[in-house]
Amino acid sequence: MKITDVKCAVIGGNPIVRIVTDEGLSGYGEAEQYKPYLRPYILQFRDALIGQDPTDVERCMTRIRQRGAFKPYGAAVSVIEHALWDVAGKAAGVPVYKLLGGKVRDKVRTYNGSLRVPMGGCNPEHYAADCKRMMALPQGFTLIKQGIGFHSQQKNLPGFYYGTPDPSPFHGALDSGMLTERGLNHMIDCVIAMKEVLGDSVGLALDCGPGWMPSDAIRFARAVEKYNLAWLEDMLTGDYVPYVNADVYRDLTQSTSTPIHTGEQIYLRQNFKDLIERRAVDVVGPDPADVGGIAELKWIAEYAHLHGILMAPHGTGNGLLGLAALVQVCATLPPNFIAFEYPSGSQPWWYDIVDGLPDKIVENGEITVWDRPGMGVELNPERTKPYLLPEDADFFA
Amino acid sequence: MKITDLKCAIIANSPVIRITTDQGITGWSQIETPKPYVKPQVLDLRDWIVGQDPRDVERVMRRIRVRGGFKPFGSAVSAIEHALWDIAGKAAGVPVFRLLGGKVRDQVRTYRTLYQAEVPGGADHTPAGYRRWAEYGKSLPGEFRLFKLPTAFHSSMVQDIPDYFYGDVQRDAPFPYPHKGVMTKEGMDHLVACITAAREGLGAGYNTAVDAGPGFMPLDVLRLARAVEHLHLLWIEDSVTGDYSPYVNPDVYRDIAYQTTTPIHTGEQIYLRQNYKALIESHAVNVIGPDPCDVGGLAEMKWVAEHADLHGIAIAPHGTANGILGLAALVQVCATLPDNFIAFEYPARFEPFWYDITDGFDGMPVKGGLIDVPDRPGLGVDLRPKKAKKYLTDGDSTFFD
Repeated sequence: MKITDVKCAVIGGNPIVRIVTDEGLSGYGEAEQYKPYLRPYILQFRDALIGQDPTDVERCMTRIRQRGAFKPYGAAVSVIEHALWDVAGKAAGVPVYKLLGGKVRDKVRTYNGSLRVPMGGCNPEHYAADCKRMMALPQGFTLIKQGIGFHSQQKNLPGFYYGTPDPSPFHGALDSGMLTERGLNHMIDCVIAMKEVLGDSVGLALDCGPGWMPSDAIRFARAVEKYNLAWLEDMLTGDYVPYVNADVYRDLTQSTSTPIHTGEQIYLRQNFKDLIERRAVDVVGPDPADVGGIAELKWIAEYAHLHGILMAPHGTGNGLLGLAALVQVCATLPPNFIAFEYPSGSQPWWYDIVDGLPDKIVENGEITVWDRPGMGVELNPERTKPYLLPEDADFFA
Repeated sequence: MKITDLKCAIIANSPVIRITTDQGITGWSQIETPKPYVKPQVLDLRDWIVGQDPRDVERVMRRIRVRGGFKPFGSAVSAIEHALWDIAGKAAGVPVFRLLGGKVRDQVRTYRTLYQAEVPGGADHTPAGYRRWAEYGKSLPGEFRLFKLPTAFHSSMVQDIPDYFYGDVQRDAPFPYPHKGVMTKEGMDHLVACITAAREGLGAGYNTAVDAGPGFMPLDVLRLARAVEHLHLLWIEDSVTGDYSPYVNPDVYRDIAYQTTTPIHTGEQIYLRQNYKALIESHAVNVIGPDPCDVGGLAEMKWVAEHADLHGIAIAPHGTANGILGLAALVQVCATLPDNFIAFEYPARFEPFWYDITDGFDGMPVKGGLIDVPDRPGLGVDLRPKKAKKYLTDGDSTFFD
């Protein structure tokens, strides 16, 4: 089998890659809806892939892996990998998890994630009300994540920190500085309010930064130890930060019993090396659509397991094809797997244009792993066509 | 002063950046010649810098720095920084080196990377070929004293010499440096013979570095480094990781650098000081080679150079494809670096017409392997729109408007 074309369409904001083959099979991959600008980055790999056998996934990847980087530049390489696996699964007539070593669980846990509405504020009562809403969701999530600190509007509260909020649209290491005591206490009050609602029936993770000073991170992590949070994510570096600073994370992680988490922006196993081998965090959270693909994510999960580190993949913006990729790979991960971050369709009509999703996707916080060949969720060309941009009119041709 | 526009045009395959301001001052900079595909990334950053004061360089950089990555993804952010310094210097009426702390030398040393195709009659990857290569280098205008030669996995030696290594030769790879593996004894002997021939061809008063990878297994690097210790090479560059590797693996470099007196060098693809941290603080190499067009800019490179100096590590900045504007930027920043500075890589790969379409350099500026640091305000080289217009690519016709 040979690749005859690599196409990209931006559908509802999500860049979608289509690998076209000479045997009539197509493979699809999807990147975050926040990255519509990825189209030229994906198409740049067209010449490198045409003529290759898409079912030799790793051989194709060795041709393009060099040209990825930390978020957002690892996404093009990563979603091409998803599309290659989709073709390989369909060609073999098996779900992708069987090509990754087989599933070790029939249901995969997912945490919320993407199902959220504006909170109307960032005080304890707003957080409490939002947790109530999330508990009432029909998906029955057993774990949820909330944003605090520099990963929320709290940074704009008067006297929250000794710094000035940055007006740049690019977040990631921009809003940064030492917290005031008031700011720290405000966040602790929010945790108390959320835990009063959630009790011990639904776990709570917090997305915190990046941008904290290490001493503040240690103060906060210690102050909330008694609430048994699932993890504190991206306090020091994280989303869109083009580096890791693993040694600084190690100091934090060694100082507290609250689990420390990072990793969504990191590209490739080599860039997880210090974080994992020095046990600089308790949980890693690579995104299969940024880290280099699902096989890369699986390798890193096993690497983390070897070092006693947990795995909770990122994925909130990955859309419905990205959801399928997460389900496939998470079915194969070792027992250090906690849950993956639940993505949803970036537009309501996304659910109408794909085939393969069950009517109820999540039940009791889990997704039953499906058995359709490939990724198992696929664009329906006829129903998708009305949503194609004019420049993408020949996407299915 | 406010930025009014950020434009990018492709001239002779090289992305050129133009930042305009409301006070009529223009900033110019350039991205490596083989990267025309970076243009959309440059333009994606336009909206985030328009309206900012270009003279507050760091304030503007804070807005866009997170949108860079390892080579080639750091080049847009880096080149924008160069153009900001160009404006800041012109606005203050001073050369950029004064805004970087002032120069500590009046002439900067540069080294010349030699390419197979430029040697008259060719220079193959044999000892005789490398000797011709060396003789050609000595004959070049500019009287360069220091050179760099492509070898091993950084050259077609991998393909040209049968059974060079225990791996498959990739003849249709879409991107450079697709090979990696353990070398055969014959491959290693051949490599050592080639390097020896080049070094002997150069003779006293000259020296050379060898560009070797990425693609080596660490033990082979150590074998090579020890076998050539008596030649006193400038350095062995990019053996394990390097050009376009999206990671560093400093711990692997450390094992090599601690066991040989041949200096070990890497770093051209690395973005930002944070990604140099382990390399420098664990003393994993002896020389670093950041490229100001990839590392995040001139100020970032100066910071990294001082960090390296703090740890006894030398610096030899990369820059072979940075063009005439990149040359100007290298001269400015290298005039300010601490004494760990060896020499920067001369951007040799631009056509002579660039001297006609710019003001600043009156022809090739190297004499005795050195360049006089110019005193023109800004980076010191400006495009001449009337002359440059005819080299614009279709679609860029409004670049100078």
